Amino acid sequence: MMTRKVLIRSLGLLAAAVLAACGGGEDAGNQNPKVAYSRLVSFGDSLSDVGSYKVSGVAAAGGGKFTVNGGDDRIWVERLSQTLGLGAPCAAQTGLNAIQAVVGFPPVPATNHSGCYAYAQGGARVTNPVGPGNALLFNPADSTSYGNAIGALTRPLASQVAGHLAANGGSFGGDELVAVMAGGNDSIVNTAIFGATVAAGGDPATAAAAATTAVTAAATELVALIKDQILAKGAQRVIVVNLPDLSQTPAYAGQDAAVVAVVAGLVQAFNNTVASGVGSDARVLIIDAYTIDRDQNANPARYALADVTRPACGETSSLLCSLVTIAANNAGGDFKYADGVHPTPFTHQLLAQLVAVGMAQRGWL
Amino acid sequence: MKTTYSLIALAALLAASTAQAQSSGDWLVKAGANQIAPKVSSDELSPPALPDTRIDVEAKTALIFTAAYMWTDNVSFEFFGGLPYKHDIVGDGAIEGIKLGKVKQVSPTLLAQYRFGRPDDMFRPYVGAGVTYAYFYGTEGSAALTATTNPGGPPTTSEVDSKWAVSFQLGLNVKIDDHWFVDASLIKTPLKTTTHLSTGQSIATKLDPLSFGLAVGYRFR
Repeated sequence: MMTRKVLIRSLGLLAAAVLAACGGGEDAGNQNPKVAYSRLVSFGDSLSDVGSYKVSGVAAAGGGKFTVNGGDDRIWVERLSQTLGLGAPCAAQTGLNAIQAVVGFPPVPATNHSGCYAYAQGGARVTNPVGPGNALLFNPADSTSYGNAIGALTRPLASQVAGHLAANGGSFGGDELVAVMAGGNDSIVNTAIFGATVAAGGDPATAAAAATTAVTAAATELVALIKDQILAKGAQRVIVVNLPDLSQTPAYAGQDAAVVAVVAGLVQAFNNTVASGVGSDARVLIIDAYTIDRDQNANPARYALADVTRPACGETSSLLCSLVTIAANNAGGDFKYADGVHPTPFTHQLLAQLVAVGMAQRGWL
Repeated sequence: MKTTYSLIALAALLAASTAQAQSSGDWLVKAGANQIAPKVSSDELSPPALPDTRIDVEAKTALIFTAAYMWTDNVSFEFFGGLPYKHDIVGDGAIEGIKLGKVKQVSPTLLAQYRFGRPDDMFRPYVGAGVTYAYFYGTEGSAALTATTNPGGPPTTSEVDSKWAVSFQLGLNVKIDDHWFVDASLIKTPLKTTTHLSTGQSIATKLDPLSFGLAVGYRFR
């Protein structure tokens, strides 16, 4: 009987030892990414612009990024930078060629900021220097062109990359993450040309073919830029985000079916040309934003999106849209779109999430 | 360590006993290694998440200690304790292969068993059924977990609901001599739990672990 007592006491000690080992609650764990990056270098258009035009009257209006400005208005590039432990990115070039007589605030000369690597600018195309918002597209006789009086710099990606190389000894360090997202403005401009040509009595089939040729050429130029000016210059990790389906954005809602079909086709042509042109390269990670963008529209609840059709900013351009602007529109949930084509900060978070998943699977994060 | 010494001392003290093996009133203690292999089938992570965002929990082996009391020559009750298991949590589906974090777990289990054969048989297969308390604690996140749930946000932490479950056991006891034996045991525990993230998201997961243990035991009377 005594032995049994001893045994029971031993079991008691054992239980105590087990409980003692049960320390610890919830730990965030190691938050350092697997790869230590020196910097995030981003090239692109409004979807990646961290504030190139946040000057003069735009800044005064509480705008500056192509999303709903104010509060936590980080776009995907900013979230990605912080995920990599690199802090907030800054615009490599700022300025506005505003037409003061129209917009009411003075132009600000383009200024380069050393130590800033966020090159993306709203309105930027792949190689063509004149994109949406550029003052050169302003025509006093055409009221539909008045939005261009804002005077966006629209420095194309080719110049963005050239500028980075010029400022950094002609090469990439190999320890940076390079982000590329472009082609939306080439698709939008060529869709507009198609629409204008057809409206003027042109042959739709010919006009559509011309648009496809132009956008495919832009995609081919982007491939060359990635291969010859980014990879060949030493970059080791490049993410290329493909185009969301512009044909499903509010900007094209209610437009002529032929126009919607053309922009849908242009986005696909651009994405396919870039994917096949870059091919499979261990240094390049293509993020399929297109598929997820369409799935967001088809299954908004999965993404906690309350509204995937209306722009949160109403008729206002997202560049000038702030939390103040959207108050009247806020339906109490998360909108997908800030304006006709640009995502809200929440949609940017979803994009950053998609990029992070791709990078983690590649072992880049 | 004190515990181990006590057990060894006990073993030495009782080595001279000559009663039949595993009969009514005996205590059987054993120590060994046990692998817990969750057979995971995970739901999708709640919004906002990419389609098909699922998780998997990897197998882990740890030391195990059990004590069984022979109520009759055939019916026994066995209590499982042991050192904590630290399982890796990895992504599945759309996030396959991403190392997300870790969770610690101890699952004390009490089983009622039926042991076939006679007390002094060399081979005694047995079956058991009972209750398990799956206690999850000490979760650990990662840069990847934060990046894939709230990129650029505060570090994501997680919490796994602890659960009561039913366990079923198949085992075999092999006698070495009157006191020493070796034992192999397979336990299946149907278990469904939910992991909650600090982002407000959650993921329901069927773990259904299969435990396989090999142990050396000693009979006290």
